[in-house]
Amino acid sequence: MLSMLFLGGCSRASSAEHQLIVTGSTTILPISEVAAEDYHTLHPEEDVLVSGVGSSAGIENVSSGTSDIGTSSRELKDEELDLGLVDTPVAYDAIAVIVNPSNPVTSLTTAQIKAIFQGKITNWREVGGLNLPIGLVNRDEASGTREAFGKIVLDKQRFDPTAVILPGTGQVRSVVAQAPSAIGYISLGFVTDDVKAISVDGIVASEKTVVSGEYPIQRILHMFTKGEPTGLAKRYIDYVLSADIQNSVVRDAGFIPITAKAVNGG
Amino acid sequence: MRDMKRITNAAALSVFWFAGLTTVVLLGAVILYVFVNGIGHINLAFIFTRPHGVNAEGGIWPMIVATLYVTGLAMLIVTPIAVLAAVYLAEYAVQGRLVRTIRFAADTLAGVPSIVMGLFGLAFFVEGLGIGFSVLSGALALSFLMLPIVMRTTEEAIRAVPKYIRWGSYGLGATKWQTVSRITIPAAMPRIITGIILATGRAVGETAVVIFTMGTMIFTPVLPTDPGRSMTVHLYQMAMEGINLPAAFGTALLLMVMILFFNLSARWLLRRNRRMQG
Amino acid sequence: MAEGLRPDPMPEEREATALSVRGDAGTLKLVSKATYFKEAALKNLFLACAFMAVAAVALIFVFVGYRGWPVFTEVGASNFLFGREWLPTQDLFGILPLFVGSIVVTIGALLLGTPLAVGAAVFLSEIAPPKVRSVVRPAIELLAGVPSVVYGFFGLLILRPIVADLTGGLGFGPLTAWIILAIMIVPTIATLTEDALQSIPNGIREASYAMGATTWQTISRVLLPAAKIGIVDAIILGMGRAIGETMAVLMVVGNAPGFFRGMGKPLSTLTSQIVMDMPYASGLHRTALFGMAIILFLVSMGLVLTVRLLSRFKEEGL
Repeated sequence: MLSMLFLGGCSRASSAEHQLIVTGSTTILPISEVAAEDYHTLHPEEDVLVSGVGSSAGIENVSSGTSDIGTSSRELKDEELDLGLVDTPVAYDAIAVIVNPSNPVTSLTTAQIKAIFQGKITNWREVGGLNLPIGLVNRDEASGTREAFGKIVLDKQRFDPTAVILPGTGQVRSVVAQAPSAIGYISLGFVTDDVKAISVDGIVASEKTVVSGEYPIQRILHMFTKGEPTGLAKRYIDYVLSADIQNSVVRDAGFIPITAKAVNGG
Repeated sequence: MRDMKRITNAAALSVFWFAGLTTVVLLGAVILYVFVNGIGHINLAFIFTRPHGVNAEGGIWPMIVATLYVTGLAMLIVTPIAVLAAVYLAEYAVQGRLVRTIRFAADTLAGVPSIVMGLFGLAFFVEGLGIGFSVLSGALALSFLMLPIVMRTTEEAIRAVPKYIRWGSYGLGATKWQTVSRITIPAAMPRIITGIILATGRAVGETAVVIFTMGTMIFTPVLPTDPGRSMTVHLYQMAMEGINLPAAFGTALLLMVMILFFNLSARWLLRRNRRMQG
Repeated sequence: MAEGLRPDPMPEEREATALSVRGDAGTLKLVSKATYFKEAALKNLFLACAFMAVAAVALIFVFVGYRGWPVFTEVGASNFLFGREWLPTQDLFGILPLFVGSIVVTIGALLLGTPLAVGAAVFLSEIAPPKVRSVVRPAIELLAGVPSVVYGFFGLLILRPIVADLTGGLGFGPLTAWIILAIMIVPTIATLTEDALQSIPNGIREASYAMGATTWQTISRVLLPAAKIGIVDAIILGMGRAIGETMAVLMVVGNAPGFFRGMGKPLSTLTSQIVMDMPYASGLHRTALFGMAIILFLVSMGLVLTVRLLSRFKEEGL
């Protein structure tokens, strides 16, 4: 997540029927932000204000009423289950493990990745790379990507506490793009040519491998509302789920339409 | 022996020259770096349009509005209080425990880390008083930050007014308040304004305070209760997200130009005033 | 403040002169009662304004303290202050590593920045030709106004990759923070030190030169000792700025909440951790962040107090 913010002041603004406050995951921003702009173009009288504050803050905001929709790139935690939040899955996403393009390593197993992020493997040599200390790049605790990655890859065990912690996806990408020794993880949608996504257990992350379930590090992107979505919140969510957004915006952003799998991601 | 002394002297002096020049070069490098990278991105569209999309393409108009709004409001809030407080300290106060306490409080306030001020603003204005994330909360928190600065510069300005001017006023039968309001403050006005401008410049560059009081929402605030995102917060977010670096440089440059403008106008005012006083 | 510096030493008697004149024939009223009350009311209004500073400090302390207090009672002061692990998700709120981080970052910045700043101040005050001085001094003052987030941005994009090459890590860590903070505190320390040097009467310099001392001897044996307390003040204020600096540090320090492990290894500080955690913190975690803020508040207040005591020292003639 970027950095800050709980948007208290907005709750007042959003009580006006024509303004919708959406806060939460920065991963989902490419969908929520672009959809908000397109929605505003279609319905100029209605405003959707989107702010990337991290999944945890988004869930906190929607449950406390300071925003109308909380977006999250992770599932609800146990203690969040009884907040009365209604989940609308909006897309699938893979979390890509990225290294510098100059790094000869192209494939790692889940076990190796786990050991690397726990600080048990500290040199690229140990996984068939150069003799170079591994530069671990981790995300902050508010990040839904970190939560999902920790759950899937690390079995909720502890990350190496000495890793660099960066508060933004783009920042992880640019550091990995510059440093030959670095390894990090970002949403597949954010992978560019500056960095190299390595295959996990021999599987390259793609829409196909995510839909088939072969690529192991995948998750669902959510929009949460307090109770069933109504009014503008419902119109906006319906718009996000429409074929217009799903097939263009979601795909363009590198995510996988929620309609691609015939599974209900609850 | 004599040579030794001369050599030591020359060596020492060159070290000081080095220190002086290094300082200038280092600081100049920061400015130049931002200038060179940012200048190409600044144009009317960048200043006057809204950002759009994930990469914050487009302009930074909402951030400029929010920044000027919050600092302008803070200035309006702080000026009367700080100026009158300075009048008290310079004209009325008797040295004693009370004045010592006030001065100590002002110094402490000036030293409070901005992040602490930000959390205080969050706890008190945003949540405690229920003002919410808004320009008003931000301005109130910033006014706490500006208060000691404006107080100090105003007090110095008032003290710098020659006392015979006051005696003249009293001699004509003016009361204290008449003297202060019609003689002392007008005479000190240019320097008071200089202090206010400098404090406002400082507030423009503030990040940690406004991030917790005004929010990070990209929004063009109209009412004081609207949230907004300052230019500093915008720069921070873009830098940390690693997105759209050209726009980040543009924002940084515009921010520095604004602060430079505040500082130079304060300086200009001061110099003009000095010249007028002979 | 010395009495001589005040243009208008105006204790109560002088105030009286504005309103009435005391003579042999008793008090001669010059103004009406209404005017007198108006004057008194205004004076009290001004006093109230001046008291705002006190009220502000008290409010900050009370509100931040109130929010932070539960961490002292529920986690315990010693677990909080001396706990060695900052793991909010597992309810471990030990801020010792963060506190140490703040100190490491501050001290390194002071070690790098102070010699440069004092050197620059001596240069400006004693050595630079007037023309150079008239350009450099305002330039340094202007640079004190550059926002910290701009310094952080510079550090992130320019310094970090350089430090990464030097230390073999990713460039996030104390070394980068030291350099950036040193650059940031140089204007603060330099301008205050120069003020201290400038306040030394010229006669002292002339006396030194008259004895045949070189410029260096005058600086090192006469001027620097004479400006000692002013310089210490400047360094303490620079220290306050460094320890409270948030955004620039946050952007380059790496934010790993562990103990110092090397110049190029990520670290976290009290200030940067507050900004990292605040957006999502709730419950006890949130109170812990306010608890950290109150610690920062007390530290900065302690520094101001030290400066006060030093200046009292100075007034009493060392």
